[in-house]
Amino acid sequence: MELTTAKDAFDRVAEKQKLSFSKCQEVIDQVSQEIEQALVKIQSVEDPMSPVDQKSILTELKHKLIAISPLKLLEGSQKELNLNLSKFPKVLEKSFPDISKAYRDVDFDFHIVNQIIASHFYHQGLFDLGDCLINEAGEPEAAALRSHFLELHQILEAMRIKNIEPALKWASTNREKLVQNGSNIELKLHQLQFVEILKRGNRADALNYAKTHLASFASSHLKEFQKLIVCIMWIGRLENCPHSELFTPIHWEKLTEELARDFCNFVGQSLQSPLSVAIVAGIEGLPTLLKLANVMAAKKQEWQALKQLPVPVELGKEFQFHSIFVCPVSRDQGSEENPPMLLPCLHVLCKQSIMKLSKGSSRAFKCPYCPAEASAAQCRQLYF
Amino acid sequence: MEMDSLPNGNSTIPTTIIPTTTPSTALSSKLTQLTESLKLEHQFLRVPFEHYKKTIRTNHRAVEKEVSSVISVVNDAADSDISNDDAVQHLTSLVSRLQGLKRKLEEGSRTENLQAQRCRARIDHLESADAENLSEWNNMRMKRILVDYMLRMSYYDTGLKLAESSDMLDLVDIDVFLESKRVIDALQKREVAPALAWCADNKTRLKKSKSKFEFQLRLQEYVELVRAEDHLRAITYARKYLAPWAATHMKEMQRVFAIVAFKSNPECAVYKVFFEPKQWDYLVEQFKQEFCRLYGMTLEPLLNIFLQAGLSALKTPYCYEDDCTKEDPLSQESFRKLALPLPYSKQHHSKLVCYITKELMDTENPPQVLPNGYVYSTKALEEMAKRNDGKITCPRTGLVCNYSEVVKAFIS
Repeated sequence: MELTTAKDAFDRVAEKQKLSFSKCQEVIDQVSQEIEQALVKIQSVEDPMSPVDQKSILTELKHKLIAISPLKLLEGSQKELNLNLSKFPKVLEKSFPDISKAYRDVDFDFHIVNQIIASHFYHQGLFDLGDCLINEAGEPEAAALRSHFLELHQILEAMRIKNIEPALKWASTNREKLVQNGSNIELKLHQLQFVEILKRGNRADALNYAKTHLASFASSHLKEFQKLIVCIMWIGRLENCPHSELFTPIHWEKLTEELARDFCNFVGQSLQSPLSVAIVAGIEGLPTLLKLANVMAAKKQEWQALKQLPVPVELGKEFQFHSIFVCPVSRDQGSEENPPMLLPCLHVLCKQSIMKLSKGSSRAFKCPYCPAEASAAQCRQLYF
Repeated sequence: MEMDSLPNGNSTIPTTIIPTTTPSTALSSKLTQLTESLKLEHQFLRVPFEHYKKTIRTNHRAVEKEVSSVISVVNDAADSDISNDDAVQHLTSLVSRLQGLKRKLEEGSRTENLQAQRCRARIDHLESADAENLSEWNNMRMKRILVDYMLRMSYYDTGLKLAESSDMLDLVDIDVFLESKRVIDALQKREVAPALAWCADNKTRLKKSKSKFEFQLRLQEYVELVRAEDHLRAITYARKYLAPWAATHMKEMQRVFAIVAFKSNPECAVYKVFFEPKQWDYLVEQFKQEFCRLYGMTLEPLLNIFLQAGLSALKTPYCYEDDCTKEDPLSQESFRKLALPLPYSKQHHSKLVCYITKELMDTENPPQVLPNGYVYSTKALEEMAKRNDGKITCPRTGLVCNYSEVVKAFIS
């Protein structure tokens, strides 16, 4: 809608510009024509010694030019264009607000921002851009994550051409810490490799691989191990195997993502570039913030000093990183001092609300959400 | 370099923020969001337009000037007694001047058309965003924001590289910023001439916004003369270039004229500031602001505006705890530092995230309470029970219980 208005306004500008151009051309042509005519006349004067003639021709030319009034014509052609030229920004301002209105005057330390951007480039695998920025901005310490992401992208690149070796090498080098983190990525990689061998159909190879690489997982992951070994029986007709779901190509994609996640977590990073996440959150949140800033425009000071936003800024599910409990009675956010409590009827309120309802836990109270009665002593604290 | 084997840009980590299997309701909310977000693109449409407008005005002024000069030549000739030969010569030169003007007009119109095309490309780009190319489009927007940051920070190489590698030169304002680069480079070398020329170019608009940038430039040049102890020239300079500002900038003016009384090393703090080298940095900053204002850009880089909004929306007290998930940008020290002066977000309703699956617990995936009060999502517990013969192990306390012992909690 807004875009169409802007487009129309712009089309008018472009149209007037074309019109103005042809008008200008016309004016110039007209002036040239008059001058050329005068020139021909002067050149054709018979008696070069008679000054009256050329003078009268020049005067005639002068009057003709006054009659054409080219400057006025030029001005006129520009007038309409100017009108539309100044109109377009107004149209824009009306439907496309100034986003800096929601900006608080706090300066970001640009060194930190540069480092974040350099890490973002490395994270996305844009290594020469990251290097270029570090060079240009003079932030050598921003390269801290470069080697990690380089390793990751090399591993992922290999995975893309179904070469699992670099990934396995990384997983076995960091086995202990990975297991500690609750990751069983190494087993999954071996499983994927094993499946490839099964598909190739050589029983001896498969047995061999299972012996050398899978056996060590038998005690910790018995079920998975059994499944894989069973598959050896079905070599040559894997499609009939009861565990045929193991052979769908989607496993490569899935595991590549899981590997990337584990790798990032392993080096203390997120799977998504944190800069992308924050910027997308900003784009989603800014319309609400702008509305808020408009409402608070009269109280600019307060806007700049807010400790908490006065209204919620709704972001998508993917931005929900923490459990936040809001008591439906008091609207307070849960905290250590005021934790969420489960009533016997399975409704949840915060502790302070329960204290209030039960008059300091002195008497039973009715749940605000159902007819059930409860006493404060019956309520249990919840941990999200 | 060693990573040459890696094709840059193609090896992005294989996920996008938007899940590939978005249900239709989520998709429609994404599209509403998209429409909302398009309204944030003022600068994107405005800058090329201002550029276009400037070109139109300059071209037109040139035409007017030339035509009026032609007319005055005719008038002069008509009013004086000149010979036939002279008259012929005059008129011939006028004809060729007008031909030259016509060529120039056509050339100018070509530039104008190119710039109009760019404006249109921007509008088309905004219109092109839809459900099919959403993630790609968002990706492009991220890059546009980054290029804007690079250009404002004078990291031209990185900005250009990013724009070229993503084939988006029409969607960023590199040529506009290159115009500012000349002025900034000169100011950094302590030369004011290009900046003054820029002021002259944009005189009317600067005057309209009551800018004192030109005054500040003149002032700095004057200070440099005083610093060089060239007092005579300093005074002449002040008379010529500073005096016209006296009416509007009386107070500064008085100080300025007093400077010359000091040697280049005044004791008094009021005058000392004029001689500080950081005055030049200040001029650069000042210029950047004037420049942005003239082109209808935000004074801050877009990145800072979006980042600030995003961090405010994401900031919760939990972000600063040790066990904050790595997927939260605010788990990173750098982001935490940036977010420090920003307000916390606010919630009106509970938003519960399962500790195990990190998924939102809602009516489709309701929260379930273990006997010890720890809460996990139905999905996570069902999965766990299936794998372990109906047994549940609380990952945070080690408590083992039967799936039949867990109860669903109602959280509104």
